[in-house]
Order: sequence, then C-alpha cells, then structure tokens
Amino acid sequence: MNGSVDLEADIGEVLLTEDQIQARVAELGARITADYAGSRLTLVSVLKGALPFMADLMRQIRVPLRIDLMEVSSYGGATTESSGLVRILKDLSTSIEGEDVLICEDIIDTGLTLNYLVRYLGGKKPASLRICTLLDKPARRLVEIDVDYTGFTIPDQFVVGYGLDYGEHYRNLRFVGVLRPEVYSSAG
Amino acid sequence: MTVASQPDGGVSAEAPAPSPAGPAFAHASEAEMARILDFYAVRWEYEPSTFPILWNLDGDVVESFSPDFYLPDLDLYLEMTTLRQRLVRKKNRKLRRLRELYPGIKIKLFYARDFRALMLKYGKLALVDSLSGTSGQVVPERGVAVDPAEDLPEAVVPRVEAPRSRRPEGRAQEEPSIR
Repeated sequence: MNGSVDLEADIGEVLLTEDQIQARVAELGARITADYAGSRLTLVSVLKGALPFMADLMRQIRVPLRIDLMEVSSYGGATTESSGLVRILKDLSTSIEGEDVLICEDIIDTGLTLNYLVRYLGGKKPASLRICTLLDKPARRLVEIDVDYTGFTIPDQFVVGYGLDYGEHYRNLRFVGVLRPEVYSSAG
Repeated sequence: MTVASQPDGGVSAEAPAPSPAGPAFAHASEAEMARILDFYAVRWEYEPSTFPILWNLDGDVVESFSPDFYLPDLDLYLEMTTLRQRLVRKKNRKLRRLRELYPGIKIKLFYARDFRALMLKYGKLALVDSLSGTSGQVVPERGVAVDPAEDLPEAVVPRVEAPRSRRPEGRAQEEPSIR
C-alpha cells in the first residue's frame, strides 16, 4: 500500500451503502431508546473502528446517556511482542459501577476481543452489560458471544469503511465495502 | 497496563500474567493460536483429551480424535488444520463421527482459510505461507500416535457402531471429557 491510496478504487464491492447504514442505525437507536427508558445508560465505544458507529448511534438514542471510550491493543500490533498480552491503551475515564453499559462495536468476528472486554468491564460491576455491533461475521466466530443488537450479519469477506480499516486506511469511507484481495495479497 | 486472566475467568489490570509452560506443538499454526489465546487471556489446554471414534468387532479402539485445544472457560474444543480445503475431507469425516458419538461436546474446526483470515486481521498474512502445510511442521518427531485409519480410503474404513452406552472403551489414552 503506497501513500497515494485511491480508497474507493480498492473496493471490489459495496456491501452496505451509506443510506443502508444510516437507516439501520436509526432502527437500532429506536430499539435501544425503548429498551433503556429510565436507565442510566453509558455507551462504551472501542477505538478506533467503532467511533463512526457510536457517533451516529448516540444521536439516534433518545434517552440521556454518557459516552466513554476504550482502546485495547490488537494481536499482531506494535505492542504485541513486548508483553504477549492485551494492553489497555485507553481505559474508561469514569466509573461504570451501577451503570447500564452498552458496548458499541464495529464488527464481531472471532469474538476474542469482545470476550476479553466483557470480562474486563464486567469486573467493574455495571448494573448491566450489553453488546451492540454494527456488523456480525458469524462464520469467523471462535468464541461465542451473546450479542444484543446487531446491525447487519455479513458474509465472510474482508470489509473496510465506516471505521473499519486495513493498515489504518479506509476508515473514512462512508460505506462498508469488500476490499479487493489483491490489495492485501500484494501487501503481504 | 498489562491484563491477565483470573481464576474466575475475569480479567484484571493488576494481576500478574500467567505463564503457562509451553507444550510441544505439532504445528506452528497451533503455536500461533496459543499465542493469540494467551494474548486475549483465554485459558487453553493442549490436546487434553482423546476421543475414541471407531472400534473393531472386538471392541478395540481403531480410530480416535484428539482435538488440538480445549478452552475450559468456554467449554469448547478447537481443532486446527492448515491443510488445503480439498484435503480436509478426512478430518471433516472424523469430526462428524465425533459429533455423532459425543453430541454433548462443543468443537470447532478451524480451517486453513480461517487461519488465513485471522492472520489477515492481525496484519500477519506474510506468516501464512510459512505456517501452512508440511513446511509449518515445527516438531516432526513428537511421537504422535499413528492413526490406523488415517491412510485408508474412506470407503474401506470399518464402520462399527459405538457401544450402546456411548462411553468410550478400549485403550482410551484418557477419560474423555463428555460435556
């Protein structure tokens, strides 16, 4: 991947258009609004991929809420080799004890990261802990996760856009698309 | 901040990291999977159970299956294969047999394509070629029991029903965990 990436040219297929995403996010927001009426809701977004999703979702939820952000190191990243363990790169800024917490994820595939996060956040004694994901790729599931809100169940393809990246690129696409295999094959 | 798994399955930012003794993995992809599981604080055991899946008329075990990993907190067995998709028929057959005989266990077969996707996700795609197939064998002589049915065409593998109790008998290496 060079410095002058033609983002859209690298997309083989648009899987979800901007309109489809926004319509579904509105539906999720309406469901969450109904489910959390009278609750002390805190949305927790997992950086970096889930940021656009949470930004749109929170504006579709009509109950008072707080937001917080977490970032954890990913396997294979720069911090992997030093410790061999997940590192919390950014922890929650406030306590979630007694709060109704909704984790906002961009995509669930293996479930490993989310499995870790659920255990970690569960230790902070929230009143409830639920999961909302924009995309679910069940074909790749290694660890079963109970997902409460799912935007789209997608096929087993490598997707980018709307927060999802490959090599830190493509996050700013307004749609979700399938990355052409030759993009990552040539980068291998 | 280093995070480690806790005995109750939770994770803590303060606890010391576990340091499991490393078993002799049969394949480098298994070692990579163990590192991934460690990274995400998922406890694992390597080949802890052997499940007989075929008996001869005398009741002797002639074929068994030892899943690569058991994840105790998830009550899940994980079997990995880096064989090309067209070559996994035999393993699929063994897995079907295992599921028939031990319907209570949860097991997932992790194919080469799954491993490739995982490596792509983690930006380690370049490792895939070196870890795939026989070239990825890191410990070629670890005394793995020979599977007597492994080299037979599927059509001539004897079909003998399991004992009615479905309780493994014969020379099982270890009492299988039927969950």
